[in-house]
Amino acid sequence: MRRGNPVARWVGIGFILLWSLIPIYWAVNTSLQRDVDAGARPANYVPPHPTLHNYASLLGIGGVASDLTSQIRRSILNIFVECGAATILTVAVAVLAAYAFARMTFRFGRVLFYAVLVTMAFPAYTTLIPLYRIMTDLGLVNTYAGIVLVYISGFLPLATWILYNYFSSLPRSLEEAGLCDGASRLQVLWRIVLPLARPGVISTTIITFLAAWAQFLFPLVLSSDSSTQPLTVVITSLQARHTIPVTLLDAAGVLAIAVPALIALALNRYIVSGLLTGSVK
Amino acid sequence: MTNLASSTRTSTPTRPTSSRRRRRHVDLLPYWLVLPLAVVIVGLAIVPAAFTAVEAFFRVSALDPPTRFLGFGNFRALLDTPEVRTALGNTALYVVIGVALSTILGIIMALILQAPFRGRSLVIAVLILPWALPGVVEGLVWSGIYDANNGLLNSVLTSLHITGGYSVFLGPHRLLTIALIELVQVWQITPLSVLLILAVLQIIPGELYEAARLDGCGWWGQIRRVTLPLARPGIAIAMVQALVATLNVFDQPYVLNGAATTGSSLMMQTYFVSFQNLDFGAGYALSLFITVATMLLSLGIVRLVYRRVEF
Repeated sequence: MRRGNPVARWVGIGFILLWSLIPIYWAVNTSLQRDVDAGARPANYVPPHPTLHNYASLLGIGGVASDLTSQIRRSILNIFVECGAATILTVAVAVLAAYAFARMTFRFGRVLFYAVLVTMAFPAYTTLIPLYRIMTDLGLVNTYAGIVLVYISGFLPLATWILYNYFSSLPRSLEEAGLCDGASRLQVLWRIVLPLARPGVISTTIITFLAAWAQFLFPLVLSSDSSTQPLTVVITSLQARHTIPVTLLDAAGVLAIAVPALIALALNRYIVSGLLTGSVK
Repeated sequence: MTNLASSTRTSTPTRPTSSRRRRRHVDLLPYWLVLPLAVVIVGLAIVPAAFTAVEAFFRVSALDPPTRFLGFGNFRALLDTPEVRTALGNTALYVVIGVALSTILGIIMALILQAPFRGRSLVIAVLILPWALPGVVEGLVWSGIYDANNGLLNSVLTSLHITGGYSVFLGPHRLLTIALIELVQVWQITPLSVLLILAVLQIIPGELYEAARLDGCGWWGQIRRVTLPLARPGIAIAMVQALVATLNVFDQPYVLNGAATTGSSLMMQTYFVSFQNLDFGAGYALSLFITVATMLLSLGIVRLVYRRVEF
């Protein structure tokens, strides 16, 4: 589109922005209305009397907490615990392995590396049923550990691949200088490589966290009660009860998308570089 | 290594001894570094995948042990199940609509973003939003748009007098239901397509466009002769990503249309068969079918679309 029509260009940009934002705007708009306002025909495209009542109801602020409130609060805690643990552990394991693959030659290294790449080719749900049965046998259904382990197994290949590419692109000379000065390989990793690779580690962390936050079918299968169900699972169970008004559902939806949306807006350049590293090379 | 060198220099041992000592100092560090990954990948990815591949050929039911070899019995039984056949057709539609639409939109948006402009990074940040959000919540958000009583779509269509009144969009008509559900997934997966294609567009040398202009190519000619051919690597990868997502679609139809057969996907049938009927053998078979189909079709796209491009 080089030196194309500038008006056409800006129409195109407008289209991109509208395409991306309209659904999100509509959910926010609905969540800020009372039920009677949200039921108007034609619809209110801007809240006539904006209110945070729906959010207060969900979170139990300024009123008596209901079953719904405790369920929402618990699921918010669950999603942070599960995503946080999965992300930290995935990135830690991926850093160690990616460094070994990128910088060390050892027996079975190449075989294991290709095995990791092959698992990236599996659709995510190939392992759904066996993982459920394994977790049942281990007594890990309805536990944080079960969900976190399953998340790690799903996210580790891509995280390792992104970091492997990043480590491979760093100049070896700095590490060799460190080794000559008597530093151990682990000291070199910690003091030289990781600081240099900070953008890659950040990208990997963000993408892993967002992938964990988006999970639905795995926690649906692995959590049958509210002790470990993340927000994504609880929201769909709310929707299945047709007594919950659309205003409350949209407020719950906005709560669920607020964290990833803020991350995406604030840190998008790390997301872009990580995605392109993960997909193209 | 330092110790070994020092030891050698100090004690001046015979060569055989030195050789034997060097073998005993095999570096174990890389094995420790990859051990956690190996345990997780083998135990929670490769072994489970093997379970799927093997037990798809067995009768595995939590309600009625023991496990028994069935050969292709699970697959035949699934093909005889009306819900599964419908889901197979639905999933084919999801794939065709999803891959085509996300690729076309991906190319269009990448072309729009190809040349730098003020605020481009902000536009890209907004573009990425749908990709970053949970698919299941996107389904919830769009269900508010499609709603028969309060939906944005009904409101706009009636205000513009395109329809005479509020309608139910999801459920009554199969094609419309599937198209609308898949639109939600397209909304989610298009940003990745844009980024992949845009990355390739960014490295096309400007001289090629100048040469094309000198040859008399207008805007459309430049796209057809320069941009699209050279963007094929990015387009191929974008299509594979879209294929994997659409062939395995679950969140959006689950939220937007529930358990209804209209719009049900193969992955939804896998879930119902395994976790509601507790027929794991059939679930394994469906899962294996989806996996093999995903891999074969991905290879097909790479074969047809991908071209190595060098400048």
